[in-house]
Amino acid sequence: MSETILITAPLLMKGLWLTIKISMWTVALGSFLGFVIGLIRASRMKILKAALGVYIHCLRGTPFLVQLYLIYFVLPATGVEWLKFEAFPAAVIALSLYTSTYVSEIVRAGIEAVPKGQVEAARALGMSKWQTLGHVILPQALKLMIPPMTGVYVLIIKGTSVVSVIGITELLRAGEQAALRYPSELMTLYGLVALLYFVYCYPVLRLGRWAETKFGRIENSL
Amino acid sequence: MDNNKNKTVKNFIIKVEEVSKTFHTKGRKPVVALKQVTLQVEEGEVLVIIGPSGSGKSTLLRTLNGLETVDAGHIWIDNVDITRKETNLNQIRQKVGMVFQQFNLFEHKTALANLTLPQTAVLKTSSGKAEATAMALLNKVGLEGMERSYPSQLSGGQQQRVAIARSLVMKPQIMLFDEVTSALDPEAVRGILELMESLAHQGMTMVVVTHEMGFARRAGDRIIFMDGGEILEEGTPQIFFDNPQHPRAQFFLSQVL
Ligand SMILES: Nc1ncnc2c1ncn2[C@@H]1O[C@H](COP(=O)(O)OP(=O)(O)O)[C@@H](O)[C@H]1O
Ligand SMILES: [Mg+2]
Repeated sequence: MSETILITAPLLMKGLWLTIKISMWTVALGSFLGFVIGLIRASRMKILKAALGVYIHCLRGTPFLVQLYLIYFVLPATGVEWLKFEAFPAAVIALSLYTSTYVSEIVRAGIEAVPKGQVEAARALGMSKWQTLGHVILPQALKLMIPPMTGVYVLIIKGTSVVSVIGITELLRAGEQAALRYPSELMTLYGLVALLYFVYCYPVLRLGRWAETKFGRIENSL
Repeated sequence: MDNNKNKTVKNFIIKVEEVSKTFHTKGRKPVVALKQVTLQVEEGEVLVIIGPSGSGKSTLLRTLNGLETVDAGHIWIDNVDITRKETNLNQIRQKVGMVFQQFNLFEHKTALANLTLPQTAVLKTSSGKAEATAMALLNKVGLEGMERSYPSQLSGGQQQRVAIARSLVMKPQIMLFDEVTSALDPEAVRGILELMESLAHQGMTMVVVTHEMGFARRAGDRIIFMDGGEILEEGTPQIFFDNPQHPRAQFFLSQVL
């Protein structure tokens, strides 16, 4: 058994590394996009707000797999050069768009949870909208966002397993390949894969717990 | 000719002319909060606004620094019409301090940082200078040694002192107070009222919404009684309290005195 582990370790480690890369890119891009969308959703820009509401609805109301197929198979078929994605960017884009819908709602909820009086006090002192956002709203809202945000990051890490369908050998796929080679060690190998996911997710979960006890929680809109 | 006339015209630092405001809330009847309100405040004057709850006192006060927009009419602060779109409200607000019932201190900042932030952000004061000003003002309002405390670590009275100091840090020409003692226990109320009276003695122009009739009588130069979004009566404290004319003012005073 330990022999199998040793032999398949490089394959699994490569898979883990790919999972880490995809999830890190997704965390970065999805958070950035979600942050911007969340800011607009919490603002008074009516038309843009409504449009982004539709965006969120569409992405949440359809299966992630369909979105992934759309980006990887359908967009290149349009013939537009820059829409011909490799598997890796296609996976990151699909996951990031999906993630942004969750992040944006967390950002919005966080901002809206900051009492109105805080904004009024800042504006009454002559602070501009942006100064108020940067010095008063965000520092207070960010604390509230950390706990639900860690939940989303764990979802992303686990969600990366889905992108194996477009031929990316991330951790789960690597596990499958290893299991094909050593069918008798199926349990061990999948156990190992689960353990690796857990090792990756656990610190993030702990961070969320810690942040929740330290900063409190907002109504999670997931 | 005109020069002659100007000499007799008083220097009004606040002028409100026929200001109206209606709130529209989805699914509810529109609320007329201000009906053609007209008033002036002289430099150094303490104007006290009283009236029952919902009469439009807060709305009126909040229009004076543009926290609330108006539907009609004009407001001049130091001869600048703040109801014009072109007016830079952030500049006007530096001249008009406001203190709220719920203190509204920045919860994530210490008492000291509550006072330095507006200076460094708005006035672009260096942080060293801002801190010196802040410390001096905190001492002045009786908060020596409290500068490192967060709002949640301070009592209501102490928080309101910080809030007053935070407004003063901008060196405003006008101070607006909206029921600033309503959330405090009686002991703290006394301290805050004393602080406000000392500000008044130093010549600060103040517009004060309050239910503290003793304060209104002692510190007010003029009283305005509002109900239903209108100014129903106006006069010196003595005339108003001893001989109110309007039936609703009479009724209100019979309830609170
Ligand atoms: N933001 C708002 N939206 C809707 N209605 C409001 C708003 N602010 C005040 N009002 C209404 O306007 C009226 C006057 O309110 P306000 O000025 O707060 O009265 P006061 O300070 O004298 O108690 C009330 O009927 C109140 O419900
Ligand atoms: Mg009020």
